[in-house]
Amino acid sequence: MNIEEYSLSSQAKLLAEPLQQLINDGGIEVPMLSEVANKALLLAQNPDSDATEMAKLIQSDQSLAAHVMRIANSSAYTPMSNLVSLQQAIARLGMGVISEISLTAAIGSKMFNTPGYEEYVAGVWRHALATSLWAKEVARHCRSNVEVAFLAGLLHSIGRPAILQTIIELAKKQQIKLTEQDIRQLENNYCHRLSEKVVNSWKMPTLVIEAISAYRSDDQILTLSAQAAQVIVGSRFATFMLTDEIIDKKVLFVLPALTPLNLYQDEVENLLNKTDVITARLEGLSS
Amino acid sequence: MSNTEFNYDMLVIGSGPAGQKSAVQAAKAGKHVAIVELDSLFGGACVHRGTIPSKTLRENALRVKNMRQNAALADFDLGEDTEMVTLIDRLDEVLKSHDKYMREQMDRNNVERIHGRASFVDNVTIKITKVGGKVTTVRAKTIIIAVGSYPRTPDNIPIDHEHIFDSDSILSMLYLPSSLTVLGGGVIASEYASIFQALGVNVTMVDRYPTPLGFLDGDMTATFVEAFKQMGGTWIGNQNVEKVYWDGLSEVVTECADGTIIRSQKLLCAAGRLANVNALQLENAGLAINDKGLISVDENLRTAIANIYAAGDVIGPPSLASASMEQGRRASCNDLGIKIGKMSQLIPAGIYSIPELSSVGLTENQARQQHGDIIVGMAKFSEVARGLISGNTEGILKIVADAQGKKILGVMLAGEGSTEVVHIGQMAMLCDADVDIFIESTFNFPTLAEAYRIAALDILAKRPR
Repeated sequence: MNIEEYSLSSQAKLLAEPLQQLINDGGIEVPMLSEVANKALLLAQNPDSDATEMAKLIQSDQSLAAHVMRIANSSAYTPMSNLVSLQQAIARLGMGVISEISLTAAIGSKMFNTPGYEEYVAGVWRHALATSLWAKEVARHCRSNVEVAFLAGLLHSIGRPAILQTIIELAKKQQIKLTEQDIRQLENNYCHRLSEKVVNSWKMPTLVIEAISAYRSDDQILTLSAQAAQVIVGSRFATFMLTDEIIDKKVLFVLPALTPLNLYQDEVENLLNKTDVITARLEGLSS
Repeated sequence: MSNTEFNYDMLVIGSGPAGQKSAVQAAKAGKHVAIVELDSLFGGACVHRGTIPSKTLRENALRVKNMRQNAALADFDLGEDTEMVTLIDRLDEVLKSHDKYMREQMDRNNVERIHGRASFVDNVTIKITKVGGKVTTVRAKTIIIAVGSYPRTPDNIPIDHEHIFDSDSILSMLYLPSSLTVLGGGVIASEYASIFQALGVNVTMVDRYPTPLGFLDGDMTATFVEAFKQMGGTWIGNQNVEKVYWDGLSEVVTECADGTIIRSQKLLCAAGRLANVNALQLENAGLAINDKGLISVDENLRTAIANIYAAGDVIGPPSLASASMEQGRRASCNDLGIKIGKMSQLIPAGIYSIPELSSVGLTENQARQQHGDIIVGMAKFSEVARGLISGNTEGILKIVADAQGKKILGVMLAGEGSTEVVHIGQMAMLCDADVDIFIESTFNFPTLAEAYRIAALDILAKRPR
């Protein structure tokens, strides 16, 4: 059954009300953005900062430092080279890329406690990462801001694992047994509001917050901001790239979100030609 | 061919200033008109990427500059993390209002709006491809090409819209950069360079010519360069740029022919604009672009094909929104046989740099070349009460007159308010008035118009006796 057509079970309805109440009251705990990730983001945007500062910051978190070095040495980023120091890696990849790596490492799927759904959350996260990379390419093509597109793409579905964690905790507390479909339905109902809440509490740039607020999974809306439309297109391209199903790419030529972006078929085709590059970057960031 | 074979009397391609005015003019004459626009937004690059966005940023840059100048009134500092969106805060509102106004104007005049990409099938048939790929074909008796222009990208400038921008993407920056290199010395380069410098960005302008805005009077460009340097900007003229690249870390590197290396956080390449004709398939209509990449037209704005006209940036200079509007209107009038006067060559140029620059008629040099002896009258805004009151003291007004000090050959101004005040001079010239009109007329006091009187008195004192 299509999730949109699904009606909540009586058990799930019992949970929906307190869940709604928690959201309305701001009672859902938003995960903290790690200090290192926050600082990396600020450093990348600060014109006066340099590679040494960034290296120092990343070194302060051993697992992050190892993660950055692993990615920096991956074939997607620096083929045929062997980077030995963080500073060297930063010099090679640039502060912007390093902050992206730090951010993706810091807010990965492990940020949430969703027992039994780890694989699902990892999938959501991988899709968000792919969305961010595609949204960035779409933004570049549209001469729009690429940093906003990346961040908005990365965080557009951050509310999913956040609400899932709350649903699981609440169900356990109230000893309510939910079906898989109940959980998905509740998640779909509330994830967007949670995404908005997370980016607001993380004090993301205004345009990122606006893009995520304007983003709807229903892409029939033609009056979207360019940034929100870029996230929707990025998300659809990501789905197309990640799915195992055989999908005719022509479905991507008629996405309603292409209209506010003025992306004509030949331009969509040109963008999709970058699939291999995006896949390599995704593998790099996910390694 | 009978009229019934056509879907429209006139089809206009492009909804910028030229396209809008030609469509409205034809519709007002009772014609069935459609306008095809590639973008989902109406108004062309002028509205959405150029004139209006940059002027909105300029307004805030002026506020910042004024607050810094008036430190006694406001202790002001622009934060390092100021988002661009804050600096063009009213843009969305301005654009929406403008878009609404234009759409209403089109609807009121029964001009059909079509969102799609147009290309010629033949000289009366246009294929329109929609974003989703749907194709329709329409036929029109007259076609007006008003597709505008897009930024030129030199081969040695790898524009990525992330670190290295063109004039269409520069305002997409998320944060105000600490430093910016501006390649070029034309109108767009000068406007953005001075605006960002006024906002506190360290701007370096580089161009192959000795001065920016070479088409303007020497005193105007000198005033501009002086004001730019006073704000902290750097002008590097007579310099060829060989290579530009992002260093992969934090800076864009610009390597010049003489070995000079300029490093900046971001770079703007403003190396002119090209006619937006790539998708039109002009050859199907029997048309071709000229050696400048533009569409050639005669004095009636008619192309080599009798039923096809062109107007605006696509036909080349002056490439001003004001001139494009008039060209669009005239193209329609010419096609419809509506009697119009000769198009005035007295088109004022307005440069929205900081300070503002504007001129109409001949520059001092041009006047000397064409008329031999001339008399030049000058007024400094620092001598004008209004200039002093508003702190607008760096401006000047120049009147260039013939050897007798009578006929006005040109008027030019630098300083805030120039693009408005120049119209007084333009009107005097259009009415063929003598310089004396500025002495004999009474203007409001205190206003910048007083500068006309001062400059005219300067000429009066230099007249042959």
